[in-house]
Amino acid sequence: MLKCKICDKEAVENGYCKSHGKAYENVMKTYSEWSKALEITWKEYLSKIAENPLTGEWAKEVAQHLTRNEE
Amino acid sequence: MEKHTFVITEKPDAARRIALALDAEEKPQKLTENRMPYYVARREREIVVVPALGHLYTVAPEKNERSQYPTFNYRWVPRHLAEKNAHQIRAWLEAISKLAQNADEFIDACDYDIEGSIIGYNILKHACGGKEREAKRMKYSTLTKEELEKSYDTLLPHLDFALIEAGLARHEVDWLYGINLSRALTTAAKNYSGKYATLSTGRVQGPALKFIAERERRIKSFVPTPNWRIRAHIEIDGQIFEAQYEKEKIETRKEAQEVQNACIGKNGQVDEVETKQFRQLPPVPFDLGLLQSEAYRLFGYMPKRTATIAQRLYLDALISYPRTSSQKLPPTINYKTILKDLSAIPEYRKLAQDLLTQPTLKPTQGSKDDPAHPAIYPTGKLPQRELDRYEKNILDLVVRRFMAAFAESATKQSVKITIKIGDKNFYLKGMHVLKMGWLHYCESYVKDQETTLPSLTEGQIITAKSVKADEKFTNPLPKHNPSSLLKKMETANIGTKATRADIIQTLYDRRYIQDERINVTDLGYEILEVLEKYCSTIVSVAFTKELEQRMSDIQTHSGKREDLLASTIETLKPVLEQLKQNEQAIGEILTEALRKTRTEERTIGTCLNCKTGKLVILYSRKTGKRFAGCTNFFKNQCKTSFPLPQKGTVKPLARTCSRCGWPMIQLRIKGRRPWTTCLNLKCPSKEERDKHVKVQNMR
Repeated sequence: MLKCKICDKEAVENGYCKSHGKAYENVMKTYSEWSKALEITWKEYLSKIAENPLTGEWAKEVAQHLTRNEE
Repeated sequence: MEKHTFVITEKPDAARRIALALDAEEKPQKLTENRMPYYVARREREIVVVPALGHLYTVAPEKNERSQYPTFNYRWVPRHLAEKNAHQIRAWLEAISKLAQNADEFIDACDYDIEGSIIGYNILKHACGGKEREAKRMKYSTLTKEELEKSYDTLLPHLDFALIEAGLARHEVDWLYGINLSRALTTAAKNYSGKYATLSTGRVQGPALKFIAERERRIKSFVPTPNWRIRAHIEIDGQIFEAQYEKEKIETRKEAQEVQNACIGKNGQVDEVETKQFRQLPPVPFDLGLLQSEAYRLFGYMPKRTATIAQRLYLDALISYPRTSSQKLPPTINYKTILKDLSAIPEYRKLAQDLLTQPTLKPTQGSKDDPAHPAIYPTGKLPQRELDRYEKNILDLVVRRFMAAFAESATKQSVKITIKIGDKNFYLKGMHVLKMGWLHYCESYVKDQETTLPSLTEGQIITAKSVKADEKFTNPLPKHNPSSLLKKMETANIGTKATRADIIQTLYDRRYIQDERINVTDLGYEILEVLEKYCSTIVSVAFTKELEQRMSDIQTHSGKREDLLASTIETLKPVLEQLKQNEQAIGEILTEALRKTRTEERTIGTCLNCKTGKLVILYSRKTGKRFAGCTNFFKNQCKTSFPLPQKGTVKPLARTCSRCGWPMIQLRIKGRRPWTTCLNLKCPSKEERDKHVKVQNMR
């Protein structure tokens, strides 16, 4: 069984489990709005959403995971 | 005992009320049989009024093979044969059978709904020797003397068998789902771990859990997006008012800055003053769902609690039958008499008298209806005992809502002033109540919507003190609370008005959800994932809704109980087969989730001494006593420990003490108020309290 990149659950799509997969989709989708609004880079975007208290737990984990992988 | 009329009621309180109403001298004789109280009322003949204790019969497996599934053979049995703590039922049923022996007329006076109909039917059929076909039916919505007497004098010729069939089908279908799925989950976990833990799910429980989990999944995956809101602070006659920019949300920082820069250093000019009048209709009368929702909004009462309080008020003949879906008040309830009675109560006198001066009384009606009962209304009777504050609150809510339904609409005026700062438009908005109308009846329950604006004329120049652009973010959906979940279940048409609140409570009791702003626990998620993976039909809202429809069809003679039960078994067979085949995998998932839940329940918080260990509830091997100890003790790194009270349940509160920083716990002992404290015995707050007590004692 292929495990999710973030938790121990079974990966279903893009290397993520069902929960983190949905969060990953949202993280990817929302970047265009942030980019238009603040003219920021992908990396800055990830850092901003990881710090934002309104970002959901799973989306934060995805943002942190993507940040780590970019470095 | 001479030949008499036998009347069966749902509860002892109802039996007392009915006997009191039917006795010619309002002095029925109270007797006991096998420790069961019953009443003898005398009218033209002797009437023996006997209470049930809610359901005395239940569905049970034909053969008692614990933990075996699938099981599709069942029968209706006395509750003491199927439930552990129901010994009292045996004596109760013996007493009922004895009192029914000399009766030559049988009347079912249980509540007129699905549950009440089954209670009466089962007793008449099984405990009274098959009298269900000859029994007559009393139908009433309040336990007032007038209505009970009228109901007794105009008995329905027979029981409502369509309602009974629908009720029996509902119980049987729920039993088939509940017992089989719960046994499958419990057995899987037990066979894997060797430990027993009750894991349950049911026809409605699964979809209800899914509603919460789906909402939580959306919140946990949520990514906010930025936007800007621009507001100008405007000074008028020495007072500061806040005006909003015409575009409510600006999507880019660049545009927000441009608007802000265009306004800097400029004064404002009143461009237009618009006023609009509109009417606000009175709210519709309460059905149970609306009452539960309002009681939660205003007083924070959980839906189940509101239902229980309302039931008590009904048994005291203060309000009508609360388990209703109707939002309509028919004229037959006699509006005038109720208002006259209410006008005898000092706090409602003026309000009720005002309504009585109207030429006609016509209530606002809601869209929902219930063939058995009207919307919830007050009887106008005075309480015969001191009500507690919770009961007073619910009664007041019902009384005011009832009166408001007859009142005129409220008239409001909205004011929108457009102010130009440079070439940008800003709006100043206000609201003024011109005529209170129904608002007068619910003043304490409606939010103050009055925002008074100064009078301004078009062309007037005003000072703009500042213009600010605030960065905001879109918000995730709010978490469900018991009231919003109840509403969601109602909208989705799953469960019934009588069962929804209980189902939510079961989800709490089974530790699938927690907190008032509901969070799904790990265990809840795992249960749902198992159900979604191995039997997705069971948690499908569409499927549950269809099943509800089929059960309603039985009530309207468009469906048959036997057909529904046969198709239920056909649906369950492959599902249970699938669960059995995957028992090992399911057991592993559930065991891990149970282990996590148990650990979470035992973890109080972080140890402040070693900073890395967790304080958990432990039991001494020597004395068996309970205490809180640091997990680093097992690594010989930290010896921090605290004594814990030995009685009651200790619940970690996931927060720390504001005075000393140690984790907080709540102690719950049955019959006492919960006690919240921190673990630290030397906390300054405790020392201060001890000093205060000493001073009090010295005085």
